[in-house]
Amino acid sequence: MYDASHSDSDVVSREYKISARGVDVFYGDNHAIKEVTADFDDKTVTAFIGPSGCGKSTFLRCINRMNDTIASARVMGEILVDGEDIYDPQVDPVQLRARVGMVFQKPNPFPKSIFDNVAYGPKIHGMARGKAELQDVVESALRRGAIWDEVKDRLDEPGTGLSGGQQQRLCIARAVATEPEILLMDEPCSALDPIATAQIEELIDELRQNYSVVIVTHSMQQAARVSQKTAFFHLGNLVEYDDTGQIFTNPKDPRTESYITGRIG
Amino acid sequence: MPISWLLLTLFGLAALGFWLGQTRALKSANGDRKALHSLPSYYGGTVVIWTILPSLTLLIAWLFIQSPVIEGFVVRSLQSETADGDHASSLMMADVRRMAAGLEIISGAKDLEQNIINYSDEGLKNFQDQLSANGIALGSDLTPEILTAAQTYLKLSDTSSFWMNLVVCVVSILGLAFGVFRSNKDFRARNVVERGIMMTLICAASIAILTTAGILLSLIFNTIEFFQLYRPIDFFFGFEWAPSFSGRGGNSLLGVIPLLWGTFYVSLIALLVAVPIGLFSAIYLSEYASKRVRAFAKPLLEVLAGIPTIVYGLFALLTVGPMLMRAFGDETIGLMSGGNAVITAGLVMGIMLIPFVSSLSDDIINAVPQALREGSYGLGATQSETIRQVILPAALPGIVGAILLAASRAIGETMIVVLGAGAAARLSLNPFDAMTTVTAKIVSQLTGDSDFSSPEVLVAFALGTTLFLLTLALNVLALYIVRRYREHYE
Ligand SMILES: Nc1ncnc2c1ncn2[C@@H]1O[C@H](COP(=O)(O)OP(=O)(O)O)[C@@H](O)[C@H]1O
Ligand SMILES: [Mg+2]
Repeated sequence: MYDASHSDSDVVSREYKISARGVDVFYGDNHAIKEVTADFDDKTVTAFIGPSGCGKSTFLRCINRMNDTIASARVMGEILVDGEDIYDPQVDPVQLRARVGMVFQKPNPFPKSIFDNVAYGPKIHGMARGKAELQDVVESALRRGAIWDEVKDRLDEPGTGLSGGQQQRLCIARAVATEPEILLMDEPCSALDPIATAQIEELIDELRQNYSVVIVTHSMQQAARVSQKTAFFHLGNLVEYDDTGQIFTNPKDPRTESYITGRIG
Repeated sequence: MPISWLLLTLFGLAALGFWLGQTRALKSANGDRKALHSLPSYYGGTVVIWTILPSLTLLIAWLFIQSPVIEGFVVRSLQSETADGDHASSLMMADVRRMAAGLEIISGAKDLEQNIINYSDEGLKNFQDQLSANGIALGSDLTPEILTAAQTYLKLSDTSSFWMNLVVCVVSILGLAFGVFRSNKDFRARNVVERGIMMTLICAASIAILTTAGILLSLIFNTIEFFQLYRPIDFFFGFEWAPSFSGRGGNSLLGVIPLLWGTFYVSLIALLVAVPIGLFSAIYLSEYASKRVRAFAKPLLEVLAGIPTIVYGLFALLTVGPMLMRAFGDETIGLMSGGNAVITAGLVMGIMLIPFVSSLSDDIINAVPQALREGSYGLGATQSETIRQVILPAALPGIVGAILLAASRAIGETMIVVLGAGAAARLSLNPFDAMTTVTAKIVSQLTGDSDFSSPEVLVAFALGTTLFLLTLALNVLALYIVRRYREHYE
């Protein structure tokens, strides 16, 4: 018998990396995300913009089930990664998070050496057999994090001793080391100076070759510089989602327009 | 005038000074608050500081110096007659002090000349009986010399407190006058108050430090005295603890090693119990427990810390000891010959230490930033992987501190050992044997008829010093570990 909905999701899996279907998030009684439906492409940088408290982080954290660690949070609706519902009881959130890496607002290197920071994920997931292989994994992750040249002589030093920008690139390298397919970034540059920000932005552009990147940002210039698609959130609603150029030059929704012209804070 | 009146006077003067200072400063600014350098209350505060601080310091110093000086006088007058040793004169001095107190009680007014006391034997006897009726017992029979000395003592005390009252009041008034004199609108009263407050805080800190130094000194002097009577080598490297009690004669063997071994063994068992249980419950409470369980379980665990150690001792004596006897005693495998054993005390002490380890570790684990947890979860680590590889390493310095604190508690613990481990000093590896510790022996050497010139009693101070050095070394070690770790990771 022909199953319409099944073939539907098959189509989804072929075209989109991440699909959200009617996602609602509650913190207790607080309705933080309202009926969000959207599809995100593979090997694309998607930017989430919107005023503070509109739910960008909350939605981002749905994609790797990070909200599971918050006792009061409830997620409803469907999120598909490669066509598979990640909120299915069959799915192990721990496994999922290895596939969906995350970089946080404040650089959060572990109190370990630079090497151990990057080797953390690969060790946990048994991705390297033997020391030599682990060293290769760490080196290639640090290279992809565009920080190898700066740290190759001091891998034994603590990761917390690096500068803010270096720490954030270390965190990106650490996330990349587990070979994720998706990289979620929650305002990765908000704690950094302009030079470090420029380095990270350049890095994000390179990461697009291999990953789909979702980045939350407060800076509209940053969204315009690094992303191909932009989603505008307001009060928990996904107001507008389109090509970045379209959003910034010709927004359809009046709320989007007020925000990018600076009328909604 | 009793001290309380003097203090009341000082505070009255201070209040007066506060008001005067404020008023005078305001007057110098013609009532315009804005023309003042500082708020009016600061001017008052300055005067209060000048009124109270110097006079109070003087008062305290006087109180401390007064009695040794007076006793010096009295002792010298006594010694010229008896010419006895130090020891005898200190005993006599105690009688003099008791006598003086008796004179004050009995005669009410210290009008000695009109009192019925004459120096005949009959009169002295009468007086002594009267003293005993008032609950004052003298060490030896009352002699005319002691009576005279007591009278001198009283007279000197009276003179001293008269002068003290006078001088303190004068200093206070001078301070007040000085403070009020300086109150005018350009005077920087605010800065002076700031400095006054700083001085007060410094005083508080110095008192704590000086007291510690005083305790140390008293330990050290007695320890030196002990080592003049007993060879240090025999003490530190002696494998036998067998004090003979005064009266029985014979030489005592006062080797510390069996006691140190007992201390070490009991503490070790206690830590083996407390550290895993405490740490695991801290991890459960901070990482796994829901808010409701935590709110209920944490205070419950901390109740353990409030139980007096004597109660733990009873628990060891009446419950744990007999229970272990039933399990390991003669009726089963015969390892244990009595309820008093290292393992009994160790287990109970371990239970006592659980809240120390758990409560501190829980706070420390909670202080690890949430960002580190999220970073680890974000890489696909499970909860226990996160705890083992991120949280515990980050919290390690604090946890080591908590464990070493628990260790110092274990080393210093006495009651549980007395009731749980027995009193026999023994070098043995069997945890089911009765042993004893340094602290328990300090108690037993000092209780009862103690003659503070015999090595059997003075050894308590040497033991105390040893114990102190031990815990000091432990704390230094803790600092070292914590610092090294910090350098490595921060
Ligand atoms: N851990 C949390 N517990 C309760 N409410 C939360 C929590 N995190 C976020 N919220 C609420 O959810 C809403 C969206 O927050 P968030 O997603 O952080 O916004 P944004 O990242 O866009 O600034 C806000 O109203 C916020 O108060
Ligand atoms: Mg946010």
